[in-house]
Amino acid sequence: MVGEKSPLHSLTAIYEMTSRLSTILLGVAGVDLPAALVVLLSLIIGLLMVVVFRYTSDQKAIRLAKDQLKAHLLAVRLFQDQLPVVLSSYGRILRCTGHYLRLAFKPLLFVVLPLTFLIVQLDRYLGWAPVPSGQAFLVKVRTTGPEALNEASLLLPSEMKMTAPAVHVPARNEVVWRLVAEKNGDYNVIIGVAGQTLSKAVVASSGLSRVSPIRLQGHFWERIFVSGEPALPESSPIQSVEVGYPSRNIRFMGFEWNWIWLFFVLSLVAGFVFKSVLKIEI
Amino acid sequence: MKGSSTISARNLRRRGLFSVCLVVIGVVLLFPLRSDAYAGPGAGFAVLSSFWTLFVAFLYSAYAFLTWPFRHLFRLLRHRKAYGKAQIKRAVILGFDGMDPELASRFIAEGKLPNLAKLRDQGTFRKLRTTFPPISPVAWSTFMTGVNPGKHNIYDFLARDLNSYLPFLSSAEIRGPKRSVKIGKYTIPLGKPTIKGMRRGTPFWHWLGKAGIFCSVIRVPVTFPPEKFPGVLLSGMCVPDLKGSQGTFCFCTTRSSGHKFREGGVRIPIERNGSALHSYIPGPEDPLTGSSGRELRVAFQIRPDGTKNRARITVGSESFTLKVGEYSEWVPVKFKAGLGFTARGICRFYLKELSPEVGVYVTPVNIDPGRPDLPVSHPVTYSIYLSKLFGPYATLGLAEDTWALNEEVLDDQAFLAQCYSNHDDRERMLFDALEKTRQGLCACVFDTTDRVQHMFWRYLEEDHPAARGIPREQRPKVIEDLYRRMDALIGRVMKQIDGKTLLLVVSDHGFKSFARCVNLNAWLHQNGYLALKPERTESGDWFEDVDWSRTSAYTMGLNGLYLNLRGRERQGIVEPGDKAEVLKKELREKLDGLVDPASSRVGITGVFDCDATYAGPYVDNAPDLIVGYGDGFRASWDSVMGKVTTKIFEDNLKAWSGDHCIDPRLVPGVLFSNFKIADEKPAIVDVAPTVLKLFGLGLPIHLDGKPWTVATDITR
Repeated sequence: MVGEKSPLHSLTAIYEMTSRLSTILLGVAGVDLPAALVVLLSLIIGLLMVVVFRYTSDQKAIRLAKDQLKAHLLAVRLFQDQLPVVLSSYGRILRCTGHYLRLAFKPLLFVVLPLTFLIVQLDRYLGWAPVPSGQAFLVKVRTTGPEALNEASLLLPSEMKMTAPAVHVPARNEVVWRLVAEKNGDYNVIIGVAGQTLSKAVVASSGLSRVSPIRLQGHFWERIFVSGEPALPESSPIQSVEVGYPSRNIRFMGFEWNWIWLFFVLSLVAGFVFKSVLKIEI
Repeated sequence: MKGSSTISARNLRRRGLFSVCLVVIGVVLLFPLRSDAYAGPGAGFAVLSSFWTLFVAFLYSAYAFLTWPFRHLFRLLRHRKAYGKAQIKRAVILGFDGMDPELASRFIAEGKLPNLAKLRDQGTFRKLRTTFPPISPVAWSTFMTGVNPGKHNIYDFLARDLNSYLPFLSSAEIRGPKRSVKIGKYTIPLGKPTIKGMRRGTPFWHWLGKAGIFCSVIRVPVTFPPEKFPGVLLSGMCVPDLKGSQGTFCFCTTRSSGHKFREGGVRIPIERNGSALHSYIPGPEDPLTGSSGRELRVAFQIRPDGTKNRARITVGSESFTLKVGEYSEWVPVKFKAGLGFTARGICRFYLKELSPEVGVYVTPVNIDPGRPDLPVSHPVTYSIYLSKLFGPYATLGLAEDTWALNEEVLDDQAFLAQCYSNHDDRERMLFDALEKTRQGLCACVFDTTDRVQHMFWRYLEEDHPAARGIPREQRPKVIEDLYRRMDALIGRVMKQIDGKTLLLVVSDHGFKSFARCVNLNAWLHQNGYLALKPERTESGDWFEDVDWSRTSAYTMGLNGLYLNLRGRERQGIVEPGDKAEVLKKELREKLDGLVDPASSRVGITGVFDCDATYAGPYVDNAPDLIVGYGDGFRASWDSVMGKVTTKIFEDNLKAWSGDHCIDPRLVPGVLFSNFKIADEKPAIVDVAPTVLKLFGLGLPIHLDGKPWTVATDITR
């Protein structure tokens, strides 16, 4: 689907580039404290975001738009006994909100696009935990049709072994293996179907490692968000290969958080703090 | 046409695309999936604030909407039915401080004021009798309370301290917190400053508000501190600046010499440091230094660009460029006192000159209406609302800096630019109030008429001392232009009102020339009523060299003359009772008809006994006599400030060349109305009872005014 001349080609290139960059930066760091990492990143990115917002937005226009919003909000309170005034003020609030969002849209693009790619890469590390050695996990292969299921085979590295026979689910064109890694490491399992073979990376570790839970055929946007590996060939009878990594939860302030939500909240808080300190209108 | 339709279609498509994008972002943030969260905090920032605002607005409006029937019912039960007996749905009162009936008549006759002519022809035009004395705070206090000064306690801008003979502001008293704690070098105030209003009496909008009739009141004088009532009010004349004065400008200059400003301003040096120049804005006293009175300051920097006749000015985090002869926008300034104590204000900069000398005029530092350190409105949020809606605006009572023009720091054009900038703000507020007050009272007072006539009367008169030598063709028609502008404003207001709305255009007094100064203290001295200390022929300000033990009468302020009464003044020598009455009679007889020998004109046309003029519980605070100066005369600048000179009469050479603080019979105000008013001699004291009656309210018995007979054409 994503051919050489596809309009998405440049996006793919950016994606691949950021993917490699993040591997270098985060892989070398070898951080094993996900909560600390999320807090630190939230602070840095919160700061960067407001600074980028400052220089890509019309600060004066945003200040005016927000003042107008507040004025109409106060009007609702001040003239609350006069229903027509309250209603017209509410209408103006809606109009001013639209105007404000229009003003915020351009700086929003400057902030959202790079951030999206950054978060995708962070999600490789923080979204899922690698499989610890000795713990069973599933590898699920989905094919284009049920006939290919019987021909599916799995070639494992010597440090991994199969703990149960393959389970075929013809109704969903799936075959599932249960595996276990005897020691931590980065491995490739080889899947063979109808004479074609392809590989899927499997990470066995108890720390913070870059993992790709699925390898997909096509599905550009899905691959952007959940896969960290090249696309499967278009001609392959295999549609996807999925490793059952457990999703990672981060404990912070007594709660279990998905890292994205923790990042979302903390970076918002950091942004609001920095915008006050730096006197930036957002 | 085709081109424009294509552009329009393109714009529509762009808007459509924008809308789609915004909706998508909104939906993503409102109902996020895991992958949507990648839109991340960036979008969150942009949307959270506005959606939060929307959410709060929704809550407010839902509350207002759902509780409206209950509140309406409550009003019906608690009050009489609002508007139940009203003859009008709405009253709009436009106050034009100092609008003169003779000038208005003249310009109407010349066809220059079509809207006032229309009001005159279809409704009413009368002279409006003013108060004794005809001074704005006195007259507007009477306007709002419907009583004479003996009941509202305002007789002048200033009142005198009976112990020290020193003046204080008659309308409000601001005191620091009662208690403080001294820690090391700091004196930490405990609590907030207290503001005590000195005006007594109840403004008529309080009665209206209690009856459930909504009122919007904008910049009516002597409404500081703002009083609580069911409506909105922005305070006017008498609101202080951040220093607590009635307006202290500063002129920052590299010029080494220069006379001290008589009043209303300070001169601050500009120091050169390489290519940059440094100066500062003086602020209020440091609240942490107790009685030592250290002044807080905000420094600013000027970087001149001589080749382009402009300079870059930096104040705190604000930076802006001004050309010579240009004003800045309102600039926020923060005076830091330490320990986190700050005072916030706003001011405007005016680049007066850049080469060879540099001069920057800075307006008095106004209380920031968006973050008021002292309340300037009721409720406090009303000034904030106006500030958010229209941007920062002048809050100072006397916002038009007449002192700066008097002292020649500002020229005519710069002063007018300042006046009309403030006026434009006031107009915006008025039209917003008109929109918000579809039923009830909307009252707004414009000061521009007063200030401009004060400062430009010299061009109206053939031989005014302040404009001698200026040929007729070079005299700008400032006052004519002023009246035209006000007429245009009235026209715009007339378009906003319907047949059930009463429109009143009123002024508190008229105007006359101020060509000759009368130093009444000098007259009292030369006639044996005021004595100076041995070997003195003159006295400094505020009776510095007066021998009170031999003084029986003195004057300060604009029209008041006081006996030095034993038992009242600390060093009084005149026995109360018959002796005082005899002295008053003697002074009246001698002063009434006093002739200016230079012009052979009568300088004083009436002297009025306050015991006969006023009635009420505050008569004791009144002067003993009110001096009514003749047309062309006024109390001299020195006399007003308690100074005794050798000359009784002298020319007034100041730009402040017109005045109204004279014989009240010579300076009535105006009354225009869209309805016919039968009364032939209406007075400003009648406005309050008239409005109350038109809204169907009973009149409080203490009112001195009488309601007019107004021919409303509402059929009920």
